[in-house]
Amino acid sequence: MFPTSLIRSTVNPAEIAHFSRLSALWWDEHGEFSFLHKMNPVRMQFIREKILEIARDEQPDLSGNNPDILNGLDVLDVGCGGGLLSESLARLGARTLGIDASESNVAIARHHSTLDPRLSQNLSYRHTPAESLLSEHKQFDVVCSMEVLEHVDNPALFLSTCAELLKPSGHLFLSTISRTPLAYLLTIFLAEKVLGKVADGTHTWSKYIKPSELIEFFHKYRSPSQHPEASRPWITRLYGDGVPTRTEAEVRGLVFNPLQAGWMLAPRGAWGATECNYIFWARKPALESALDSIKS
Amino acid sequence: MLRSTSLLATKACRNTARRVFVRKISTSGQEQCDVVIVGGGPAGLALASALGSKQHTLGNIKIALVEAGDLSKVRKWTPEEGTFSNRVVSLTNESQAFLDSIGSWQYVEQSRTAPIEEMQVWDGVSDARIEFHSSELGLEHPEQGMARLTEVLNLQRGLLRHLQLIPEVQIIDQTKVTSITAESVDGGWPLVQLENGRVLRSRLLVGADGLNSPVRSFAKIPTYGWSYDRHAIVATMVHPAKSPLLGPNTTAFQRFLPTGPIAFLPLSPTVSSLVWSTTPELAAALKQTAPSVLARMINAAFRLPENSLTYIHSQILQAHQAGMPIQDAEIKGLIQWRESSCAIKENSAYSTAAFDTPEKLAGVPPDDAVLVPPMVTSIQPGTIASFPLRYNHAETYTGLNNRAVLVGDAAHTIHPLAGQGLNLGLGDVECLSRVIHNAVLRGGDIGSYTSLLPYSQERYLENHKIMSICDKLHKLYSTTFGPVVQLRTMGLEMLNEFDSIKAALMSIAGSSAPTRIRREGGSFHGEFGATALSLAATGFEGVTAAAATVQALTNLVRDRAKAQFDERGKGGNTL
Ligand SMILES: Cc1cc2nc3c(=O)[nH]c(=O)nc-3n(C[C@H](O)[C@H](O)[C@H](O)COP(=O)(O)OP(=O)(O)OC[C@H]3O[C@@H](n4cnc5c(N)ncnc54)[C@H](O)[C@@H]3O)c2cc1C
Ligand SMILES: C[S@@+](CC[C@H](N)C(=O)[O-])C[C@H]1O[C@@H](n2cnc3c(N)ncnc32)[C@H](O)[C@@H]1O
Repeated sequence: MFPTSLIRSTVNPAEIAHFSRLSALWWDEHGEFSFLHKMNPVRMQFIREKILEIARDEQPDLSGNNPDILNGLDVLDVGCGGGLLSESLARLGARTLGIDASESNVAIARHHSTLDPRLSQNLSYRHTPAESLLSEHKQFDVVCSMEVLEHVDNPALFLSTCAELLKPSGHLFLSTISRTPLAYLLTIFLAEKVLGKVADGTHTWSKYIKPSELIEFFHKYRSPSQHPEASRPWITRLYGDGVPTRTEAEVRGLVFNPLQAGWMLAPRGAWGATECNYIFWARKPALESALDSIKS
Repeated sequence: MLRSTSLLATKACRNTARRVFVRKISTSGQEQCDVVIVGGGPAGLALASALGSKQHTLGNIKIALVEAGDLSKVRKWTPEEGTFSNRVVSLTNESQAFLDSIGSWQYVEQSRTAPIEEMQVWDGVSDARIEFHSSELGLEHPEQGMARLTEVLNLQRGLLRHLQLIPEVQIIDQTKVTSITAESVDGGWPLVQLENGRVLRSRLLVGADGLNSPVRSFAKIPTYGWSYDRHAIVATMVHPAKSPLLGPNTTAFQRFLPTGPIAFLPLSPTVSSLVWSTTPELAAALKQTAPSVLARMINAAFRLPENSLTYIHSQILQAHQAGMPIQDAEIKGLIQWRESSCAIKENSAYSTAAFDTPEKLAGVPPDDAVLVPPMVTSIQPGTIASFPLRYNHAETYTGLNNRAVLVGDAAHTIHPLAGQGLNLGLGDVECLSRVIHNAVLRGGDIGSYTSLLPYSQERYLENHKIMSICDKLHKLYSTTFGPVVQLRTMGLEMLNEFDSIKAALMSIAGSSAPTRIRREGGSFHGEFGATALSLAATGFEGVTAAAATVQALTNLVRDRAKAQFDERGKGGNTL
């Protein structure tokens, strides 16, 4: 793990102040965060289906529609905001911890969860940066961080923090926005400046990260290990056009359909679908794969 | 590998833990529910069954259904052999397939239902006629007909029998919802107050509570509509069995009279159901007369020319207004007189002479017997009733931030001329239960606007399309205005020529072509139904538009003429 002295923060105070100001609006489905509300079912669909897909690789007799796949898993939602994703995870039975750098966001999230009796047992929130969980030696089956990466300082540190909060074989889910002209046009020029759907200053183009950059990061990234010679990068193989194997990582576009005023999950490899919003998944290498490679 | 086995092992205990905890929670006398359905009509019961039958994949959501009436009467309903309830609906194949997919259809007593294999529809003024047969529809099972007539009670009883096997659905009957309020905190849930003092706090509140929906008022959803100034008289009609030469009693007959259509809907070889839309005055007068008078008038309504009927109706109304309901002998005389003055031969199927000598109906039927329904000889006692008809459409199906959603008649009511009311309602229920299911699988809050949005998006236009076709049909046929009659005659005859448009009309008249069902998370779709319907819509739009043009032109000519006349009159005065 990281020696404590090396912990730098990924928290950008201006960003946090911005979200704190808007915190009262989190649960207005028609307001500032309506896009996130509408995106949430699609993010959940991907999370559920991906975990199910991997579980079925390992247990082929598992039902293709198993509603309980998240039940009982330890899940961390980093930058949970008002708790949109955290509540959904908890409703599916995941033991969910939502953390956020903004105190008022956490307060709103906590208050909202008290309205729903189904949430009280497996949902909790903490006002803390992800880095301090590392020092508590907590690890989770699943770490999610939705629409946060584009708001942090030092994204590489943020990614490695999320990575190390996972147990071996754990699932990492990130959704964010790519750094493309299209993304600038849609998420900043249109959404903030022209339509005013999202508060001005919410996004900074230069902080956007491309899917290829995330893949590149995890192609190199190795979890710190007592057996450095055994640890492998999260992504070991890339096909010709930079596509990882389905069992190590995946990128899917999230596409807004204005006709239905809703988001959809683009099919795998859909052309141009990841030019703006996308969701990324990667899996931490299993412990035994490291040990296996030592033995051989 | 290590990890996944341990995960599985612990999963079993966690599942049970999750199930138990849901039941425990309750805040200060309030009962927590995931879904409260207000209304135990066919739509509400179907939704409860649909959700209840998916309990295992819905993670045991807690469902309660509240109904003001006594459902034990419906559960125990045991009609006497050969008798039928007067409230009958024609269920499309799509509706039946849906009820089957949720496991309810098997509890509906099949021997009390009857297929419609053929339809005879004609214009009361011009006599232009269309005929449909289910074998022309390319149905997968044409022998099952294009729709199935089912007593509402038989359907409700079947749904209740199915629900008896799903104890997770709590049915609270003989209990009125007295008021609905929202919790006073921001984002608060609805609190449903029951007559007996219980309070249900609900994540999702479903209004299946009919035309005057209290849920709709709570959700502040405005509705748009009007009264047709028409009542539908319903009754259970008894008649001799059809001659074997005419085939089984599986033909529905419908005649469009200017006051509204009259329909004859077969239930068994010797019993059929009446739905007669007419003026409220005539409905009231006919309800006051002896049942034999109604029987004679039904026979006449399918047989006599329109102007003769208008005359007899005026006689009935006069007698009614004078406080002396018209007598059987008088009606008999009036009908005989009109028949003879219209030169209707006694051996024709258009003659009602055999009403008083039913034995004459045996033997070889006359050539024109296929054109009219069997002669009604009596009305099953106690089955005459009437309902006011309205067009009503809520402006939206989901409330804004109040966790309410509408299905069935609470969302829309239409003219019964195409027998679509409940079929739309069951379409709502199918869609809503699928939308709820998808939302639950994604951890969604099923009371949230976002979760319910796909329901509104899918159903609103779909319903609107069918509702406006039915409304246009009513308006198109409720006139005797010459040019319109001529045009709609052309319309009807053209329809008979073109199979595709004919099929379209069949589809609103209660059928829909083979629909494949995707059970897992999929949707029902009647592609045929949809295209046929839009075809029908354009077809009728064409006829109505043409009629409107003719009407406008005629008005223009008339107004011009009148203006000239007035002009002259004025001139005359000054001269
Ligand atoms: C003459 C006629 C013929 C028809 N023919 C056809 C046909 O052939 N095919 C077809 O598909 N449709 C037909 N329909 C339409 C069909 O009958 C209706 O669409 C259907 O019955 C509506 O069902 P529902 O469950 O939505 O509403 P309803 O049956 O009206 O049920 C609403 C329920 O809510 C309950 N309720 C209301 N308020 C409260 C409260 N405060 N507390 C507790 N409970 C409450 C009521 O007691 C009632 O049981 C016809 C209608 C008529 C009038
Ligand atoms: C766009 S919001 C997304 C909220 C939520 N994940 C969702 O998608 O509904 C970004 C959130 O990340 C939080 N955040 C930004 N930087 C953070 C950091 N370094 N650590 C934790 N939270 C952070 C902000 O306070 C804000 O609530």
